[in-house]
Amino acid sequence: MNGTTHGEIFSLFNEISKNYNRKDQYFDILYDATSSFSIKKTPSSEDITVDTKTSGIVARTFIGKWEEIAINNDSDTAIINKRLPKVKNKGDTIAEFESWKINKELKPKINPLDISVEEKVERIREIFNYVKNSDERIINTQVLYAETFTERIFVNNEGCELRQSIPRVRFAVLPIAKEESVVDYDYFIKSGEMGYEIMDLVNNQALDKAVQNSLDMLKAELPPSGKHTIILDPSMAGLIAHESFGHGLEADQVLRDRSYLKQHLNKKVASEICTIYDTPSYENKLGSYFFDDEGIKAGNNLLVKDGILRSFIYDRRSASEFDAKPQGNGRRESFAHPVNPRMTNTYFGPGDYSLEEMISETQKGAILIHGYFGMEDPLGGGMQCTSKKAFLIENGHKTKILKATALSGAVLDLLKNIDAVSKDAVTLDGGTCGKGSEDLIPVTSGGVYLRANNALISPG
Amino acid sequence: MTSEKLDIIENSLKSKGVKEYEIFLIERNIHETMLLKNQRDVEREITDFEYFIRLLNQKDDSTGIGVIKGNSTSPKQLDNNITQCVGLSRVNTGPKYFFPEKSNASNLRLAEEKLLKNPLSVKNDLVEELISNCAHLKEVEAPFGRFRTHINHNYLRNSNGLDLDSIKTFYFIELSLKAQKNGDLSEFWDVGYYKSKDHLKFGQRLEDWSKLAKDTLRAKVPEPNEKTIVIFPPNVLKEAINPVVGIHSLAKSRYEKISRFNPGDKVANDDFILHDDGLLEGGLSSNPWDAEGISQQKTSVIENGVFKNFLYDHKYALLENKKSTGNASRTANGTVNNGISNFTVNSGDISLKDMISEIKKGYYIQKFSWLNPDVVSGFFGAEIRNGYYIKDGEFKYPIKLGNVSGNVLDMIKECLYISKEREYSENSYFPYIAFNNLNVSS
Repeated sequence: MNGTTHGEIFSLFNEISKNYNRKDQYFDILYDATSSFSIKKTPSSEDITVDTKTSGIVARTFIGKWEEIAINNDSDTAIINKRLPKVKNKGDTIAEFESWKINKELKPKINPLDISVEEKVERIREIFNYVKNSDERIINTQVLYAETFTERIFVNNEGCELRQSIPRVRFAVLPIAKEESVVDYDYFIKSGEMGYEIMDLVNNQALDKAVQNSLDMLKAELPPSGKHTIILDPSMAGLIAHESFGHGLEADQVLRDRSYLKQHLNKKVASEICTIYDTPSYENKLGSYFFDDEGIKAGNNLLVKDGILRSFIYDRRSASEFDAKPQGNGRRESFAHPVNPRMTNTYFGPGDYSLEEMISETQKGAILIHGYFGMEDPLGGGMQCTSKKAFLIENGHKTKILKATALSGAVLDLLKNIDAVSKDAVTLDGGTCGKGSEDLIPVTSGGVYLRANNALISPG
Repeated sequence: MTSEKLDIIENSLKSKGVKEYEIFLIERNIHETMLLKNQRDVEREITDFEYFIRLLNQKDDSTGIGVIKGNSTSPKQLDNNITQCVGLSRVNTGPKYFFPEKSNASNLRLAEEKLLKNPLSVKNDLVEELISNCAHLKEVEAPFGRFRTHINHNYLRNSNGLDLDSIKTFYFIELSLKAQKNGDLSEFWDVGYYKSKDHLKFGQRLEDWSKLAKDTLRAKVPEPNEKTIVIFPPNVLKEAINPVVGIHSLAKSRYEKISRFNPGDKVANDDFILHDDGLLEGGLSSNPWDAEGISQQKTSVIENGVFKNFLYDHKYALLENKKSTGNASRTANGTVNNGISNFTVNSGDISLKDMISEIKKGYYIQKFSWLNPDVVSGFFGAEIRNGYYIKDGEFKYPIKLGNVSGNVLDMIKECLYISKEREYSENSYFPYIAFNNLNVSS
């Protein structure tokens, strides 16, 4: 289908779709095309890669269970009709949702395609050299720039005709510092649904700070083990909202009876000062889009309001089973990966505290900074979220810097022990989310500062 | 065996006058069933291919490499890809590099004939076996499962006459087993790839996993303990050893000043012997040749606790005037990176049963939430998902939650016992090891 216009793809998909009568069965078909450009520079390599376009098609039907076929773009689409069965009277095994049309291309301020490869490479080399030469203790520098354009075209036998084209850009710099036998690092990352304007955010001040943060890690001590009062920065708050809490709200887990949160709908799951959202329609964030991979319009999930669990996160199938209104959370990594209910931009809403108040009121504790990674536990409700660093809080003051710090325990205990939520504006950090161990999709998570009592921390 | 697509790509390169090129092509055929409450819920079939072209642009004292990824062999798309790739090779600059020449790769057999001939039937038979085994488990349910068969046909051809192909088959399982009593829930969840059908062992595996799910139902939070003994089984050991010892064993890490190892350094216990084995029968990363087409091999990395050899790909071998150890791997965007193949650790002289009986006070961790150690420093801290507290030589009670922390680079100097038994876990073949001086917090 290379060289085919989106109008021609719509026509072809509608033709294929006509073979599947909605009264008898649900059918949809998705075209997925990705093009990308990346530069990764390390002391001994400069990898520049281009993906001019990799694309494919996935078609599926629901007949009480899903039957799905994914093919490469060079393949003959006739195989779809041959492989996907046609049945009678299975149409009501899945609910009908709103039929709509959209054709939208998200335009970045500066289209990366308007910037030459030479200019991009030169900019990355400048950044690399600036960081590398900033301090003799920086023994290794890694710089990454990656841009991706994703086009998705969706048609189903309920009348949806949808197309979106979304640019996503990421930048990261990682200066590794060494002094005597201690080696450690911090990192600086920016990402979003944006264009080459991302590089405006990468100024000398930001790079100096990244270097200083890495050098500071050389002095970091191991964090204490045990239960403490902790303050979570927005990126750590986002990790809790996403990894520890959000994955248990994905309604496929509820459908499987594999979520500890199933029995908590409309019940208290967090302190009454907590509000948590997942918002696919959040503008220009890494996890945003106009429609999901099942043709559902991107909306907003109010997951927790005033500490009460208000909603799960639905895809088409689970929304049908639970008679819920899906907000556009059915996502695929690509045409070759399955759809699941997935998070998008997940975050804590603001409260009424200031960070300074939180710290000054804490006699002994730690502030966990720079959410690093976390892991889901949808059935057990366990929590593992690790920050890249932390600071000890003693007598109302931030004191020693600490190495990577792991936060564990039962997530609902942590959420119920939150006693302060900051009034800052919500900030979201971009990242990649896997379901189990695969199916990687772009997301953001974040929120504001949180303070919780009696939280288990240890070296991470 | 040859691929028509490979010929089309090569002809396009030649027609555009490209002199130094490499084409890596992978054709995939995947069949998958996803299970909901132990019933078939999603059936998927994926047929796909992609290729990566690397072009060299030789300069006076450096080489520019252009890398491009694609999945269409339409003339227009190929023409566009090659033009862009040539452009990239002009902009890029790196150490002097050339493609390797033809060498004698081993005749390692990586594919199961039956799976190659009828993948759908093999997948369906195994899914039925999985469903049947789950249905027979007592006091546990299988809320979710996922099973796949994979056939990967890889081709590598370069302008120096190298022309290789290999077919690989393997399996994937993700399974959740759930136990519940009086409103309490517990789970054993596992996910991973298996090289051969013989490694699946549904009957035994599901019995073991089922016991873990049931035991976790009565699990306690472990008592905090500093400098204690913790047993890591092979699957957990892989999560610790492969990323950290892996990174520090690479020639790239030495070149980029990240590695803490030097040949001759004592880096582990006397009885710790580790190899990188690219030809390991049963290893997921086994292949006759690496991402550059150089024969994979078995390389001694740590011998009796002493670091012996760095692992080289062709690029770092050229930089240091060494011979490649066949340790080039392909990244998702097509670049070639220095990487490990399969790691093996030699067995010790004690059975797992005897090892446990020797421990007065300690922990056995079957599964962490996610170990994910920092590859540079080696530090980790991970939540316990499924494990046991050991007292007076036996499993006293199951444990869950709480955290184990330590440093992988220190841990391998603190091996208290290494088991006789070894197991495959993806790209590793490891024993059970009891480590001293780890911290448990709760």
